Amino acid sequence: MTKLFHEIRDPIHVFVHLDLHEKKVLDSRAFQRLRQISQLALTYLLYPGATHKRFEHSLGVMELAGRVFEVITNPVNVTDEVRKLLPELGHLDGLSYWKHVLRMAALCHDVGHLPFSHAAEEQLLPSGWTHERLSRCLIESDEMKSIWKSMTPPLDPEHIVKLALGVRKASDLNFSRWERILAEVIVGDAFGVDRIDYLLRDSHHTGVAYGKFDHYRLIDELRILPTFSGSTEAALGIKQGGIYSAEALALARYYMFSQVYYHPIRLIYDRHLQDFLSSWLAEGSLLKEGVFSIELEDHLKMTDDEVNAAMRIAALDSKQPGHDPAKRIMTHNHFRVLYERNPQDAKVNSDPGGAVARAAAQEFGADSIRYSQPRLKNVASDYPVLARDGRIEPAISVSEMLSKLQPTSIDCVFVRPDHREKAEQWLLKNREQILSAAREQEDEDHETKPEGGGAGAANPKDAK
Amino acid sequence: MKRNQRAAVLALLIRRMLSRGSWCGETHVQKATFFLQELMGVDLGFSFVLYRHGPFSFELRDELSLMQADDLISLQVRQPGYGPALVPTQFSDVYLERFPKTLGQHQASIEFIANELGGMNVAELERIATAFFIAERSDGTSVEDMAQELVGLKPHISIEDALQAFEDIERLKDRAKAHSL
Repeated sequence: MTKLFHEIRDPIHVFVHLDLHEKKVLDSRAFQRLRQISQLALTYLLYPGATHKRFEHSLGVMELAGRVFEVITNPVNVTDEVRKLLPELGHLDGLSYWKHVLRMAALCHDVGHLPFSHAAEEQLLPSGWTHERLSRCLIESDEMKSIWKSMTPPLDPEHIVKLALGVRKASDLNFSRWERILAEVIVGDAFGVDRIDYLLRDSHHTGVAYGKFDHYRLIDELRILPTFSGSTEAALGIKQGGIYSAEALALARYYMFSQVYYHPIRLIYDRHLQDFLSSWLAEGSLLKEGVFSIELEDHLKMTDDEVNAAMRIAALDSKQPGHDPAKRIMTHNHFRVLYERNPQDAKVNSDPGGAVARAAAQEFGADSIRYSQPRLKNVASDYPVLARDGRIEPAISVSEMLSKLQPTSIDCVFVRPDHREKAEQWLLKNREQILSAAREQEDEDHETKPEGGGAGAANPKDAK
Repeated sequence: MKRNQRAAVLALLIRRMLSRGSWCGETHVQKATFFLQELMGVDLGFSFVLYRHGPFSFELRDELSLMQADDLISLQVRQPGYGPALVPTQFSDVYLERFPKTLGQHQASIEFIANELGGMNVAELERIATAFFIAERSDGTSVEDMAQELVGLKPHISIEDALQAFEDIERLKDRAKAHSL
């Protein structure tokens, strides 16, 4: 007898449940490829347990998306005001359709990822391409379309794309209010299940406790709410009773970014990986374009495994393209931190890391300096909270902690290990002069990019 | 425009909006920046899409976060039941002094936008910003059809108010043109 449901054991959610159609997606080439795409790139060089893959993360996101959907569409959790804004909440057949769309979108949201996830995406995809755009192409591919068509009722691929990518990454599509809310369930800044799963999972695998929080309580207290009292827009918000779990989520994100995702050594390994990939893609691989291919067949063939094999060969042979960065990664001989941004320097110069990187590249040569300037983006504390007396309040007026939580800028300049001592002394002597001289240029029209073998190009932005 | 110059323009815009009585929540800043860029031609490099309460830029949202990280603005709860306001910090005084050239170039446009929009609430801003968004992207569509489109996107806006919104933006464009001369 055909099994109608499948269960997969998972270290975070205990079981992930799939129906037959979801199992078909799981067995597709696009999804199986995620077994060879690291969730956290080379982070395992710092945190040896961080070898988990996009495969299990995507399953976790689907599981959580289904749980959130059940909570926020449960009639006892929906007010009349919200029902007026979102009539879809009253249509049972429609809700069943949208739950399927949501879970499929969650399952497929990462299928477009390049090898090593975000590590090289910005530098090594053709202009205008992102992993989200590749995900979209795969969701709309013939192989996946045949799965969507076989369902009853058939799923519209455009609906899946909208929920998987969200308004920001699918800005050419028109979203209804309802679709915006469902996309928020997956990719939302505040309570997106993508974020909830990666924090819990990355925390578990790195062994770093910062990422843990009470997601059971959090999910149970999520509600669709007007953005403020009397608003004509709705957003994913939370009941006041869940605010402590929401605070814990915000803190988990803050600590995981500062301690894991933007750890300086992780950042420099990303840079070495980018250096290797750009040499390898330009000269050593079959593609020879200097960037990853956006052809779906090429994309499906390219995983961490292919890159790791090439990196091992390059590390051992000085004639191979990308030999130097490959060797640095394989032998843990990474560039060392020369400068890290601090708030006082930022008061003197709005781009202190860039100023130091430019000056250091002039002094020691572009190949000896690397620069990373990832940014912690929106801290996402502007969601509505349903207070105990029924009023809608902004989260930061309910939570003292959230009102104090600020985004943090990070700037790191790295130097070749053999120049480290000399560079540190040079910086000690010249630091103030570098920062103040560069400040004079701030109001000039031209953009001055830090040098250093593409040092300025290093901007992993959001490592997730 | 470089990132730090853009931050200076936004910091000044927020300052001027507040001085004209704006609540200066994120929605107010989003719409004011939208008009500053799309109506006054100040090239800030943001792309706007229709999102909550009309045109919205995710890049601008990121920029506002960076400005918080750089201690140029902070969030302030001013009244229960309302969203937080974006207010300039003390450090932003010092920061703005570093950009005389950039601010000199755009000051008049910033003042115009603050004067025109500073007194508007979220509903008014949503109505005219969405109307402007539709009008700028339509090609010879009649005002009636554009008003229907606005009502389709924002069902809480009546057809009369939608028609009025398109009249309002025509007048706003005329004033902007006269201001630029």
